[in-house]
Amino acid sequence: MISESENIVFNLSEGEPRFVAQIKELGGEEILECIQCGKCAAVCPMALAGFPIFNKKLIQAIFLGAREALLDDSSIWACQSCNRCTEICPRDVRPFEIILAMRRVAVREFAVPAMSVEGLKSLYDVGHAVYLKDSGQTRQKVGLPEKPPSVIAFPKALKELQAILHQSALWEIGIIPMEGNEMADTCEV
Amino acid sequence: MKVGFFIGCNTAFNRPDLEQAVRFSYPHLGVEIDDLEGQSCCPSWGTMPSVDLAGWSAVSARNFCLAEEKDLDIVTVCGSCYGSLAETRHSLQKDPDLREKVNGILEGLGRNYRGSANVYQSVGYLYKKIDIDKVRQSLKYSLAGLKVALQPGCHTLWPSKIYVDREEDSFHPHILKDMCQALGADVADYSRMTDCCGMGGMRSADMERSFNLLNVKLKSIKEEADPDLIVTGCSSCLIQIDTAQGQLYKDGKIKFQIPVLHYMQLLALCLGGEPEKVAGLAKTSVSGVINKIRGDSNV
Amino acid sequence: MVSKTGVYVCHCGENIAGSVDVAKVVNYSTTLPGVSVSREYLFMCSDPGQELIRKDIEAGIVDRVVVAACTPRTHEPIFRKALEDAGLNQYLFEMANIRDQDSWAHWGDKEGATQKAQRLIASAVAKANLLQPLQQRYVEVEKSTLVVGAGVSGMFAALDLAGMGYKVWLLDRNPSVGGNMAKLDKTFPTNDCSACILTPVMVQVANHPNIELLTYSEVEAVNGSIGNFNVTVRKKQTYIDWDKCTGCGDCVTACLGKTDNEFNEGLDSRKALYIAFPQAVPKRAVLDQDSCINCAGSHIGKEHKINAKSGEPMLAPCEKVCKTGACDRTLAHDSGGESFDINVGTIIVASGYQAMPKEPFKEYSPDSPNVITCMQLERILSATGPTDGEFHRPSDGQKPKTVAFISCVGSRDKNHHVYCSKVCCMYMLKEARLIKEKYPETEVYIFFIDVRTPGKDFEEYYNYCRELGIKIVRGRVGAVDQLPGDGLRVRAYDVDMDTPVTLEADLVALATAMEPSAGLADLGRKLGITCGSEGFLKEVHTKLYPVETSVKGIYIAGCAQGPKDIPESVSQSRAASSAAAVPLTAGRVPVEPFSSSVDQEKCSGCGICVPLCPYSAISREEIDGKVRAGIEIALCAGCGVCAAACPSLAITLQGFTADQIFAQIDALTSVAGGGPID
Ligand code: SF4
Ligand code: SF4
Repeated sequence: MISESENIVFNLSEGEPRFVAQIKELGGEEILECIQCGKCAAVCPMALAGFPIFNKKLIQAIFLGAREALLDDSSIWACQSCNRCTEICPRDVRPFEIILAMRRVAVREFAVPAMSVEGLKSLYDVGHAVYLKDSGQTRQKVGLPEKPPSVIAFPKALKELQAILHQSALWEIGIIPMEGNEMADTCEV
Repeated sequence: MKVGFFIGCNTAFNRPDLEQAVRFSYPHLGVEIDDLEGQSCCPSWGTMPSVDLAGWSAVSARNFCLAEEKDLDIVTVCGSCYGSLAETRHSLQKDPDLREKVNGILEGLGRNYRGSANVYQSVGYLYKKIDIDKVRQSLKYSLAGLKVALQPGCHTLWPSKIYVDREEDSFHPHILKDMCQALGADVADYSRMTDCCGMGGMRSADMERSFNLLNVKLKSIKEEADPDLIVTGCSSCLIQIDTAQGQLYKDGKIKFQIPVLHYMQLLALCLGGEPEKVAGLAKTSVSGVINKIRGDSNV
Repeated sequence: MVSKTGVYVCHCGENIAGSVDVAKVVNYSTTLPGVSVSREYLFMCSDPGQELIRKDIEAGIVDRVVVAACTPRTHEPIFRKALEDAGLNQYLFEMANIRDQDSWAHWGDKEGATQKAQRLIASAVAKANLLQPLQQRYVEVEKSTLVVGAGVSGMFAALDLAGMGYKVWLLDRNPSVGGNMAKLDKTFPTNDCSACILTPVMVQVANHPNIELLTYSEVEAVNGSIGNFNVTVRKKQTYIDWDKCTGCGDCVTACLGKTDNEFNEGLDSRKALYIAFPQAVPKRAVLDQDSCINCAGSHIGKEHKINAKSGEPMLAPCEKVCKTGACDRTLAHDSGGESFDINVGTIIVASGYQAMPKEPFKEYSPDSPNVITCMQLERILSATGPTDGEFHRPSDGQKPKTVAFISCVGSRDKNHHVYCSKVCCMYMLKEARLIKEKYPETEVYIFFIDVRTPGKDFEEYYNYCRELGIKIVRGRVGAVDQLPGDGLRVRAYDVDMDTPVTLEADLVALATAMEPSAGLADLGRKLGITCGSEGFLKEVHTKLYPVETSVKGIYIAGCAQGPKDIPESVSQSRAASSAAAVPLTAGRVPVEPFSSSVDQEKCSGCGICVPLCPYSAISREEIDGKVRAGIEIALCAGCGVCAAACPSLAITLQGFTADQIFAQIDALTSVAGGGPID
């Protein structure tokens, strides 16, 4: 089912039977409502930009338990979170939530693109997923203080944010180094 | 009237001129800005939302708490922040278990999420809260004679049911249009107005595909509207359209470059904001447009 | 007298036994007071099952029967019959529904379901022990039928009954009979012209001596029950004297008021004074007051103004041209029309459907005039339509070069209707075929989710359409964008090609869902029949009693019950007419003996019950100088409202006496409060 795959034929009996349940637990509750009409795919930026996996196909692949193949493909990270699919799905599947659920599966398998790991690290370290080092100058150029009034300027606030992250699944998964978390040091990302 | 300004990473670090535009124009229209000191990342889609719902919601809820504690609503110029905050707010509103879990996490910080604060996108907030005539009367310059094409941005539209300032018809949005017309602009329609710009996860995942997607949209803009300026309602769309055009041009994929500004920048300019401050960081040159706006004949 | 109650527990195959421990329930039943025997069987309703009951009765072991099984709605009559056959009064019977209300509802919780079954049986036994024999009553049947809705279904039902010699009232809220079918161009799978097959039927119903047409009328109220329904009909105000009107149409030509033409689905306009369509039956003019502009200052019911110069009264154009005097605006027409009562033995509801409008589907740019519903396209293709059958698109009258159909619009959709509208696949194919056959150069695309063509000759029809070159794309359209000019861009995902596809089309036709016609729930309420969750009227049993409703004597036919095509609607309407004829032919029908009676000793004469009775069966009468309530047994439907309301507990509803009900409640609660039964 995935064009780059060596295995052209997907053996249905090798499907992972518990996969749908896992997706449901991780936020894709409505997955079985999908009737594969394709309406979401008609307007999905991922489909339009030529990524091999996108909402409708992802749902069918999960349904059939094609877990390994999905973990081998990084298309889901190209989802724009535009939510157009969720807006138009006639079955209220909320396909975007299925994408998120699949990402959550992938995160737990450490099948995450470097950019996302960077984003998470940056979120943890400075409180912003996107942070540009020379932004201080840019800000000053337009007449703003070097730092915005965010966690960047308030170390106590950053501690608060980190305390939240310590209590999130990020901690157990250990995908990024976090203060006091041994696991992160031992895994390769 | 006072509102909490949620700046967002991209605006704060990449396009602070947009931050300046908000700081300039909101007070001009009688809306005081609160900095929501200590605000963090919303967090954006590729990070906590992709890890777990409770962690995502807790980070988001903390940002809401900052506003709630001052009895304020939140505005943002960024579609991603708007979407991420609105989506968690929606989940927290309808899922008591999640709310309990999140408040359990926040308890240790001495905070409690109540759900009283709403989140608005910057244009929608003005549209809903400020009399459009007041906007018209406050203008120092007008956009008369300027043709604009619009890019409202996916997140101002979908999923419509989670937004408090939603469009009546999210497939044919009119808020940005009405607001541009209030500035005197001639708004030209084009068929791909609600198409995605290609920013977001896709740009990180595959720049070329992302730019090609935008190219389809740009062609529709050029062929059908041929505007002097593209106006966005979202900071991410702004960055994408602004920066990608140079590359597409260099690659010979387009033969034009259209200036692009966020609506708040355009508003700030019309209210008399200093161009270097409120629109000084554009990669695709906007000076022609700015000169036209500030030209004597236009006063 | 101590009762000898037999308890018979049914397995219902696996339906009950799969979630209830039947053996345990049977054991438990034998411990209940008054129970003489308890048995189980795989299918209690089958002949061997019934035989168990009959034998016990005949052997004198049992004189009250409780069956713990499925729903009394379908199965109570079967078991009552078994009691009668064995010589026991059929009302010494009680059913405990341990399937619909227990095993199905608690599938997977065997312990809980078993306990609940025990409770339900305990309660049924408690009541059964107190049951008294009752005698069935009979009522005479009024030999006539009211058919509500004069579309193809209603007309066929009416013709059948009239043909059997019964009087039929055929009612429709529109000025003409014909219904939705009158709007269609051709009909699948044979492509005969709709008008050619329908108009003769319209004429037949109008001319049949046993059929009385009540067009432009509505059902206002329904009282009574099977055999004797009293229906209040309101004939809406036409403002034209139909006895004089000849349908010449002169007034229509003269009229200056305009509004959307509903017969052409809003694609053009009609006059304020109008005849529904050229082939209307009855062909009579109607004035739609909302769009009348009161020409020459002539208001309904007011004397004409006098022309200052000529001294002549100023007539409105319609009055001027009417040669028969049918149009007289000075008459004091009652805007509410006229109400009258009719008495009928049975009622058939054939009130049809409506096609959803395009407006809710914003993702398909309904603001574009070239995005239309398939019903609108039907009018465009029809020779009697706004373009006289010329294939023109609405925006500029050009002939479309590329047409796209979108399926399932509003159907299979949780935001609108979750059901499949059943006919859209075929009507899209039909419209596509009509276009392609007449204009072979037109490119026709149909975007389907699944092509569903299960019907006689339907698959062949589909294949023929493919041969014609109609392009079938599997994939629901996600967006229709408006292009500069009047063009449209259709965006879909082709499931088979595994690629997004786009199409520039001149015309987009939305196969919008069939939905319950406006006011159906309200009509259902008046008739006492419920609508299902999808909004259509509910039959008693999908398979076995498909035309019966929960109200005896009221039947349903056609799309009032759910989406159907014409062959199916007609079959069902003829089934409904035959079901409705049964009581008429029998002449009398049994009615349940569950009627209320007043204990004159206890009654204080307060009269609280009188206005409460929905059947007006109670009146206050003087008995021995005292005012007391009296119940007219023939009118009483046994609803029990009076018994519940009487402050002196003077009213008893036979079969549901206070003793019996309290015994049931006691049995349920004494164990309920005390936790599990064992
Ligand atoms: S997710 Fe919704 S829109 Fe997408 S294929 Fe399934 S049912 Fe259709
Ligand atoms: S949210 Fe993601 S999956 Fe849904 S349409 Fe947008 S890009 Fe596609």
